[in-house]
Amino acid sequence: MTFLDHLFIVVFISLIAISALRNLRIVDKLAPVLYGLILIMLVRMSSVAYGGDVYLSSVSLDLLDFKMHWQFTALSWYFAIITVVAALASAVFMSGDWGRQYREQGGNYGMLQLALIVNVFSMILLLGSGDLLSLFIGWEFVSWASFLMMVLSPTKLAKKSAVKYIVYAMTGAMALMVAIVMIYSVNNSLEFKQIGEVFTQMSTSSQLALVLLFFVAFAIKMGLLPFHLWQAIAYAETPGPGAAFLGAISSRMGMFTIVLVIVQFIGLGGLKQLGISFVNMQTLLAWVAALTTIIPTYIALQQHDAKRLLAWHGVGQGGYMLLGIIMFDSIGSAGGLMHVLNHASYQAALFMTVVAVMYRTGTSDLNKLGGLVTQMPLTFLVMLIGIIGLAGLPPMNGFVSKWLVYRSLLVNGQPLLFVAAVLGTLGTILSVYKLIHNTFLGQLRLEHQNVREVPWSMLVPMLGLSIIVFITGFMPGLILPWIASVQESVGLPVIAHHLGGIEYAKGGLDMIWVSGILFYGFGVGALIFYFLGGKSKRVHQYDNYAGGHFLTSDVRYHYSNNFYPGLMHLIGGWYRGSFKWLENSIVSVVSFFSIFFENIYRAKQPVMLLLIGVVLALFALYRNLGVGA
Amino acid sequence: MNSLVLLVVLPLFAAFIIPVVAKFSPKLSLFTGPVVLCINLLLIMSAWIKVGSGSEAIFLGGFLPPVGIVFYIDHFSLLFSGLIAGMVLIVWPWDAKESRLYSLYMLLSAASFGLVLSADLFNLYVFYELLAVATYGIIAASPISKVPNSSATAASLRYLFISSAGSVMLLLGIAIIYTLTGTLNIAHLATMTTSLDGFAGLSAFALIAIGAGVKAEMFPVNSWVAEVYGTIPRQLSALLAGLVSKLAVILIIRMLLMVFQQQAAFDLLLVVGMLGVISGEMVAWRAKDMIRMLSFSSIAQLGLIFIAFSIAGSKGLWIGMALMLHHLLVKGGLFLMADRFAGHMGKLKGLAKHSPMAAAVFLVFVLSLLGVPPFPGFWIKLLLILNLAEQGGGLYHVAIATILLATVIETAYIFKFVRILYQKADADSTPINKNYSSSYTFAKLFALILLVSMLFVSPISNHLKDIANHSASPHIYINKILPTKQLGDRS
Amino acid sequence: MNALHLMAELIFMPLIAFIVGMMMVLMMRKIAARLQRRIGPPFFQPLYDIVKLYGKDTQISHGLIHDIGIIMAVGGYIGAEILLPVPGMEGIAAKGGVITLSYFLMIPSLGMALGVGQCANPNGSIGISRALTAMLAYDIPFILVVFGAAWHYQSTSLIGMIEYQQMHQWGIVEMPLLAIAGLFALQGMLGKQPFEIYIAPAEIATGPMVEMSGKYMGGLFVMQTFQLYTAGVLYASLFLGGGTSFLTLLPKAFLVVALPMSIAFMFPRYKTEDVIRILWKWPVMLALISLAFIL
Repeated sequence: MTFLDHLFIVVFISLIAISALRNLRIVDKLAPVLYGLILIMLVRMSSVAYGGDVYLSSVSLDLLDFKMHWQFTALSWYFAIITVVAALASAVFMSGDWGRQYREQGGNYGMLQLALIVNVFSMILLLGSGDLLSLFIGWEFVSWASFLMMVLSPTKLAKKSAVKYIVYAMTGAMALMVAIVMIYSVNNSLEFKQIGEVFTQMSTSSQLALVLLFFVAFAIKMGLLPFHLWQAIAYAETPGPGAAFLGAISSRMGMFTIVLVIVQFIGLGGLKQLGISFVNMQTLLAWVAALTTIIPTYIALQQHDAKRLLAWHGVGQGGYMLLGIIMFDSIGSAGGLMHVLNHASYQAALFMTVVAVMYRTGTSDLNKLGGLVTQMPLTFLVMLIGIIGLAGLPPMNGFVSKWLVYRSLLVNGQPLLFVAAVLGTLGTILSVYKLIHNTFLGQLRLEHQNVREVPWSMLVPMLGLSIIVFITGFMPGLILPWIASVQESVGLPVIAHHLGGIEYAKGGLDMIWVSGILFYGFGVGALIFYFLGGKSKRVHQYDNYAGGHFLTSDVRYHYSNNFYPGLMHLIGGWYRGSFKWLENSIVSVVSFFSIFFENIYRAKQPVMLLLIGVVLALFALYRNLGVGA
Repeated sequence: MNSLVLLVVLPLFAAFIIPVVAKFSPKLSLFTGPVVLCINLLLIMSAWIKVGSGSEAIFLGGFLPPVGIVFYIDHFSLLFSGLIAGMVLIVWPWDAKESRLYSLYMLLSAASFGLVLSADLFNLYVFYELLAVATYGIIAASPISKVPNSSATAASLRYLFISSAGSVMLLLGIAIIYTLTGTLNIAHLATMTTSLDGFAGLSAFALIAIGAGVKAEMFPVNSWVAEVYGTIPRQLSALLAGLVSKLAVILIIRMLLMVFQQQAAFDLLLVVGMLGVISGEMVAWRAKDMIRMLSFSSIAQLGLIFIAFSIAGSKGLWIGMALMLHHLLVKGGLFLMADRFAGHMGKLKGLAKHSPMAAAVFLVFVLSLLGVPPFPGFWIKLLLILNLAEQGGGLYHVAIATILLATVIETAYIFKFVRILYQKADADSTPINKNYSSSYTFAKLFALILLVSMLFVSPISNHLKDIANHSASPHIYINKILPTKQLGDRS
Repeated sequence: MNALHLMAELIFMPLIAFIVGMMMVLMMRKIAARLQRRIGPPFFQPLYDIVKLYGKDTQISHGLIHDIGIIMAVGGYIGAEILLPVPGMEGIAAKGGVITLSYFLMIPSLGMALGVGQCANPNGSIGISRALTAMLAYDIPFILVVFGAAWHYQSTSLIGMIEYQQMHQWGIVEMPLLAIAGLFALQGMLGKQPFEIYIAPAEIATGPMVEMSGKYMGGLFVMQTFQLYTAGVLYASLFLGGGTSFLTLLPKAFLVVALPMSIAFMFPRYKTEDVIRILWKWPVMLALISLAFIL
């Protein structure tokens, strides 16, 4: 029995325990304990993240001549720890008052708990896969587990988008299956290392097909362009903490497999040899990534529902991850990998703040909120930290990973990709400001006068996550050894790091200093503000006037709708829904053919057709037999 | 071993005496059929053990092959005989008022057993026709609950037309073979495949395939499927879709494996299989009620089975057999469930709330149908695709693409349906038929078998592989039936 | 670098920036006055203004975030000054580099945005929406310029860039088009005509400043001095060879800041969408052409 076996056993027992006890109140308290236990099991294996040996599971399955086994590499461990922490935070979040309210509103709380543990179970299974078959099985499990979580929401839209998701996911699974079959048919083996060996033996067209099939499969999960349409709505409609969990980590399983398969076994050389002149697979993927940062981000800018807005950003941030890893150098890939953790931490925190606001006010419509900072200051703080992380500004962790990606683009001389990445970041700043402004700043609505801060069961995970956001931004060196082990295990150049950041000739980064200076600046600013000036007088927000009129609470003057009219004037015409159009046209093509076949089946006289066939066959036979005789 | 002849004789005899018995005691006539089937099951089991991993030939009527009648018995035929007995027992019309129906079911069983066991073309044709007649009769005689009687009659009539056209083609194909070779014994034919090479032989195979394909829901001749399944009782749909279609498939593959081992024949099956898969799934995608959806999905599944059989040799039989058994369980189960779910899909809203168990059973079936791990359907699909890829050749790659595309479409429509099940009930939704019959219990049983088989994927697969290896070999077949003919003769 | 030296830098770098920045404010007001045939303010006017604003009796706070916004606006720049090397004082320029610096420059905008948001005045929010849109507009050419410079000098550290220019030629000679694009971006960054919609001094009631009184306004005034200084020194370091001493650096910086003011009055005020359109068209195009030469 290895530590990995213990991990699997604990996860499996948790699955059984939660599914058995899901309708009892005890599950509230039990679930966080179980996730904590899983976390301990993972921490016991942490040596793998510091350059230690790969953990092999002693269990292996011989099914139908296929050998399936499981292992935990640094890569698996890195994604697993993010998954489990996200699950733990979500479980704590829903264990108290949120869960009570959810039950009272008729939600199936037990199923939500079950869906969460099923997700964790399937993700651990996927992350632990040791060959292509176990990878495929884990992959399918993850898809269906997400589906289970998504369908829990009672709204019609949620169910519809869940079904849409499962169709997308199935398409991806089928693409993955073909790719696996292509590999198997060469050497009759499903080991991971076959990917690389088979790839070198293949013809160029097969190589291209293989890379595209793998990429399509993984891109669908990750919601990369042009497969981004399913994700945002499906995640946004998932109930509360479920959305936080899915938004944090679920679609990153696509990133895991991209690193595992495309980066590790096909590699830069493999991608570069596919293409003509300066356009090769690497550039193609890099541009897919760049467009994924831009387009979903600007779609997010248009949303007026907080959860949708965040979910669309989740799609967009996936682009940074791919953009970083596809550069294949030490800093870029470190940035891409690190962004997975960073994104998970602030995205989960942000989703939780929105859910917290919904818990108190019942809505996440940005046009119906405002001014809540005085009522829910801690939630505001979490959201502030979260949006600084999401926008990638110092001193939060999002800045570090994005800095690494930028630096890599700079080193590799990619100005257009660089601008694309910056365009994404700026769009994010605009959009997250709108989020925090419309929720917490501005006018407080009359009906929200009595709103209070959310209870501690919800605050603790939110605050915990924001501490992670800050600490890993302040001392990225806590995470960077893990990243370095991952890079080493998948054969990428390894990043030189220290506690504060990275060492790099011609311009490194030391976040301890950078954050320190920033806080020094804030300190000086505060000194100037509080000690140099006269005393300020706090006034109520209604002690205010605009345009020569006093503003009162019965007049709504919160500036929220169409927040950036100038920008929208200019770029509004670009929102044409081309991808929606594409999706619809595919559906139209399928229905065209299905009507065609339906008409065939409707043919009233198949008997006549058969008889004509018989006569023709007889005639041909007569000729043939005549000659034969 | 000769006792196995009773498999055919007993039901046939029962079919004739039931009307007479019914005159005296209706109760007795009701139980005659099940008793006969149970006896048959016992016979099959004892034969299964006796045959072991080998096979037996039974010569009837005092003549030796190639002239005499031969039954060929191996695990393959015994497996399907067992399934016939079990399936007919499950759908036995307990609540029928007329003894006529019992007779017809007995006739159907007798024909089915004969079809599985016979080793010469003439007998195969006879049993096939008998099966067809029994089916028409059952369709026409069955009590119709939901639809006006006239449409059932019309469907039955149209089925009769197309089916008899198919029979004509089958007969024509047999006639051509006889013209070319002068024999109808399959083993004998297997020794002289060379005279069946070329266009004439191939067209004979095509005629047989399409002729039998009418029952096997093969692509161009399956327009009856939705109509007939839509009007007849669900148990009967389960029987037709689950079992009778497989028997026709068995006829086709017997010919394919023993006599027509040519690439052109494989390609023919591959193409009709592909067309069946894609057309079936696409039409099912537009279906608005459950029976229609299941009917077209059944067409697609049969297409998948044909694709599997287009893989040469025992592998094709192995995978095809697994697919057939899986489809029998899944589609049989789904049709049995449909007894409770009939009508327009929109009316089924809220079913999951009303009956979570039914929804769960339904999910188990469809997930396996889609090939989601760890359900058995996944392994079968994986094996199918891996083996198709091994075949090489463009057409096989097109087949892989077709299967996977079809799976995506299948997911889309099935989950559109699942979504309806899990929606809130509204004014439109009809309460589910509460006084459901035993069929739902059997559906649950099927789901249970499916779940249990999940745990025994490897042994089951190995067993099927052994059976396939044995049954797909023309050498063994010839040796058993025509011991005098040696392998050398098979030039 | 010993601790004492660093302590000194932490104090003096912002202080110098503040003083120089005030002189720049004075210079700009003088230029504006001369162009409008006025005499302009006296030398200490900027200092008077700040003292006056801080000393006001009526100081309206709309809440904690309002205060924090101002602190972030000033503090962000103070941090940025320490990242911006000047002769004799390198601060922590080696720990961050120019990418970090350009991100630091976004923090004051966000801080101001938070502060204004808390005021619950719709006019303020409109102003912020414009300011953030303008930031989106000028940051794209700005980031291209930074990219081009960093690529050309093969360094993201300003120290390295200055060294390179000291050894070779000034950036403006080697990359004239990029330098011009940089000037464009500078015009937008400083909010001078034609890109002044979000500052809109003539329409203070419909801008971000609407709820700012007393030291809040004073804070923003201080922020402006830092902003001018940062822009001038950054541009001088990127394209004008920086300086070995303040005597060579400061004239360049003053020149850089004087330029936008001198041409500002030739232009009208553009609408927000026109600001984006122009800034995404001409400077971006220039920068891309220039990059094509450099790469």
